Amino acid sequence: MLGIPLLQFFLFRYLPLWNAQIAFKDFNPVEGVFRSAWAGFIHFKTFFQSFYFAELIRNTLFYSFAKLLVGVPAAITLAVALAESHSKLLRKTVQTISYIPHFLSWVIMLGVLMMLLSPGNGLVNEAIKAAGGKPVAFLTTPSAFPLVVIFSDLWKELGWSAIIFMAALLGIDPVLYEAAAVEGANRLQRTRHITLPGIAPVVMVVVLLRLGTILDAGFHQIFVLYSTPVLGVADIIDTWVYRQGILDFQFSLATAVGLFKGVIGMILLILSSRLIRRLNGSALY
Amino acid sequence: MNRRQVFLILMMSLVLFMIGAGMGFTGGQEEAPAAKGAPAAPVNLDIWVTSAVSESGPPPADWIAYKIMREKLGINLNVVFLPSNFTDMDTKINTAAAANALPDLFAVNPDTLFKLIQLGLLAPVDDLIKLMPHRQAYYQDEVRRRMVTVKGKMYGFPEMGAIPQREGLVIRKDWLNKLGFKAPKTIAEFFEVAKAFTEKDPDGNGKNDTYGFGAYIDQRQLHESGLGYRFDPIFGAFGVCGVWNVESEAAFGLNARKPEFMQALQFIKKMMDAGVIDPDWPTVKKDEFRARWKQGKFGMMREDFAALATMANYKDFDKNFPDGEWLPIPPIVGPAGKSSLGNIIKDIRIHSISARAAKEGKGPLIAKLLDWMGDPGQEGGYYLLGFGVEGENYIKNAAGIVTIEGIAKEKQWTSKEMQPFTQLRNLVINNSPQELASRYPAYKTIKGRTIDPIKDYWSVFQTHNWTEATGASLIKPTGINQADFVRFYNENVAKFVLGQQPLTKEEYDKFLAGLDHLGAKTLEDNAKSQLIEAGLLK
Amino acid sequence: MAKVLRSKEGWLFELCIDTFLILLFLVFLIPLWRVLMVSLTPTPDANDPTLGLFPPPWKWALISYKQFLSHPSFFKATYNSALILIGGVAVSLFLTVPLAYVLSIKDLPGRVFLSGLILVPFLFNPGLIPNYLTVTNLGLTDKLMAVFLPGAISVYNTYVMKSFFEGLPEELKESARIDGARELMILFRIILPLSKPILLTIGLFYGVHFWNDFFSPLLYLNRQDLQPLPILLRSILIASNLNEYVEYDAYSSASVESLKSASVLIAALPMILAYPLIQKYFTKGTLVGSIKG
Repeated sequence: MLGIPLLQFFLFRYLPLWNAQIAFKDFNPVEGVFRSAWAGFIHFKTFFQSFYFAELIRNTLFYSFAKLLVGVPAAITLAVALAESHSKLLRKTVQTISYIPHFLSWVIMLGVLMMLLSPGNGLVNEAIKAAGGKPVAFLTTPSAFPLVVIFSDLWKELGWSAIIFMAALLGIDPVLYEAAAVEGANRLQRTRHITLPGIAPVVMVVVLLRLGTILDAGFHQIFVLYSTPVLGVADIIDTWVYRQGILDFQFSLATAVGLFKGVIGMILLILSSRLIRRLNGSALY
Repeated sequence: MNRRQVFLILMMSLVLFMIGAGMGFTGGQEEAPAAKGAPAAPVNLDIWVTSAVSESGPPPADWIAYKIMREKLGINLNVVFLPSNFTDMDTKINTAAAANALPDLFAVNPDTLFKLIQLGLLAPVDDLIKLMPHRQAYYQDEVRRRMVTVKGKMYGFPEMGAIPQREGLVIRKDWLNKLGFKAPKTIAEFFEVAKAFTEKDPDGNGKNDTYGFGAYIDQRQLHESGLGYRFDPIFGAFGVCGVWNVESEAAFGLNARKPEFMQALQFIKKMMDAGVIDPDWPTVKKDEFRARWKQGKFGMMREDFAALATMANYKDFDKNFPDGEWLPIPPIVGPAGKSSLGNIIKDIRIHSISARAAKEGKGPLIAKLLDWMGDPGQEGGYYLLGFGVEGENYIKNAAGIVTIEGIAKEKQWTSKEMQPFTQLRNLVINNSPQELASRYPAYKTIKGRTIDPIKDYWSVFQTHNWTEATGASLIKPTGINQADFVRFYNENVAKFVLGQQPLTKEEYDKFLAGLDHLGAKTLEDNAKSQLIEAGLLK
Repeated sequence: MAKVLRSKEGWLFELCIDTFLILLFLVFLIPLWRVLMVSLTPTPDANDPTLGLFPPPWKWALISYKQFLSHPSFFKATYNSALILIGGVAVSLFLTVPLAYVLSIKDLPGRVFLSGLILVPFLFNPGLIPNYLTVTNLGLTDKLMAVFLPGAISVYNTYVMKSFFEGLPEELKESARIDGARELMILFRIILPLSKPILLTIGLFYGVHFWNDFFSPLLYLNRQDLQPLPILLRSILIASNLNEYVEYDAYSSASVESLKSASVLIAALPMILAYPLIQKYFTKGTLVGSIKG
């Protein structure tokens, strides 16, 4: 039963890892992966010593953690609210409309955001002007840009991320609620003591997996939204690698950075799993 | 048992599907029929090129040109149309390069060319050009040849790119008339007019919704970093167009080092602070910028003549403002008497042959194909690929220029329906005056005014001041981390102009120091020797 | 769930929840409404370039939709995307379910090792080039399979499914094991029938991913007749970078923005419709019956 899935896994996950040795080589396509000359850790050094290294790490971690800390509780809140509401109409309409943004590409999102945030006549700035303030150029102001990134991502993914928590909510045994109600717990208490612990395992899995990919901060979004004035707060590892790769054919460098991201992710995953294990029993393995 | 049977059936169909898909069943293989009368089965040629019109589809499989190529040239042409934006195009080519799986003939970006040459993935083409009688004329330009030459050998076909000096400074004549202004000549007048356009409601609609100047950040390669082409007339007024100063060997270096560069930035900042530039300029991209002038958002801009004045593009503006008119004006003059519309650079489109294809002996065949495409005679492919079938999609008027007189609307070569048939246009264009007249015909506006894109705009742009800076486009950045350097340059220039960094001498010196830290001196030294060697610096 | 007690109790709670939901509704609606409006109003209007939130219905036109739907590659692209979708979801579920189930067996020998085996490549994704080299060396270029096969097992989805399986009552599996059933049988006879919600959910996750993926087709599919919908969409959305010098009539009636909005909405439509349809099958309390039985 394991055979076939593991075969696929081997082919498409482990073979590329073998190819990943080009991170330690001076890869030449004509020579191929195997025959290209060894180059040791030079590509890693290039990355660590590059001019913007510290800033890239800072931005990447900032966006990942921010999206995690904002996104997961928000998704849980939405899932619980939807489950708890008595209004069938409200539940269905909100749920359906909340995941439509997930299907919009970031190119369209840019248009939407400009409609809202343009300093010339964006809706938000119209409101600010009406209230007597000065319009803000959200997308090109370094202090505002990170907020735009985090909240536009939230808007786009909230409904979709909530799906998984709603599925988890369905798995909670109704009997537990009945018992609690009989004991006199009100709805808020029932939520706190039954619903939340009930979905805790799924929440943990989600958080752990996201920690493992913490250095993936959302390339497509940043790539579409960023512009020259905000590079200082917008540039993440992946956008930097993209520019190096596209302008400079730096295959080996890009692969090296990918491996680096993996190492960091693994360390984080192991550390946080240990932590969860100590608190809880079992984690991912 | 029931469920099990269902599942087994599902599994079987799945496995069958996978096998079928694996054998290309869902993709379908196309067989190339052996041409009748041809000496041997036609050879497969894989070419990757950019389509002329990415929004339209590819030519149909039964396109007559494919048939002609098979029967006459013995070539079974497989065309892959590359994505139309640089990003995706580079991704596709770079990854194919990494796997040493580049096709026989393909379009290459100038930047990518040198990397590919270094990796040994391209074949030299000097000998092949000798095999192309009809097409040799395309490759005579000395500068373009140099752009594809490394160690004396050419590694790509230096095709015509865009026609030169095709952009210019234009202003809303109707707005000038309404406010009683004359076209600005100096930079001070430019500012005054911009202010008037912003504050005095030149379109007379009672709303405060117009601006003086419109732009977007239009950077290309290293030599046009900073704020990009849209602001060239302003930088030109201070004598610091573009990134490089190539006036002379003595003066060579980054324009940023000259005090006039800071002055130019200060002027732009002044415009920003006075609110006379469309405030969205840092974020909009090209499409949005074009949509804006069509909506009458601003009154002055540097724009491409075809994007401005061809019928297809002018239509929307004409509908909104039938009385509107864009007047080309000479570039404004700065405090030291300098002016420039921009740098004269050689634009180039390169097609290269992979080393692999050359080893397989496909070189001469490719040359044959390209030669046929450049042949404007009866037997050649020039008109077929560029415009379509004579009599069906176009007719030639007395002067031999292609027109659409008398052709049914959907059959005209410019119509939406016919676009798939001229997708290979980029392989045949030669920018001859005849061709240009065909591609950019004159037409009448709604109010009956005649607009001739070539005469009214392009020719006028040619007469204005431009900075001779051919050398700049030939510089291959070496010795530095180009990506980081470009980012630092762009970011700081933008920050100065947007007021996010104070534009004082102190801060500006810090900017220059930062550039040096990132290798500016190395870059300059390397560039200088390249240009001296190429004889482009005196 | 809490529906059992439909009394006045908790009315404040209910009010808070409902207000919150209504506010959320507006937050989602307004921008989406805007995209829809832009898609319906093709011509940039000089008098009102932003058109506000409510352009009057007489300005509406379906020209953008017509233009996208009549694109010569549209049907082929949709067909290709559908093939990728069906093949992708089928293969993915086929591979993910057994893997997730095995991982969920509580006292499986070598469980830690297996988990490690799965997690390592998940974390260490070497990136574009090594993956590209692998896929092309396996001869998958220009085969639709290249788009869904490499990504068929998503570690994220596997773990979510595993979580679900672990949440099912242990007694069911135990009683079957005691009766001598092999794991494969347990999976089919007992686990799967109870797993409709998770199968549909994960199937949907895979489905959306494959439907929207443009990067794999970009890399591995060269032939024009194999291009799926996302590639077509992208060519429309980022059309003009190289083709500035337009001499023809492609945008005969629809403005660029409007065309983009219309295209995105059409491409997203199948997925948007999928979820409510599947939602019907999410029945709660499926477990109640089996425990008693």
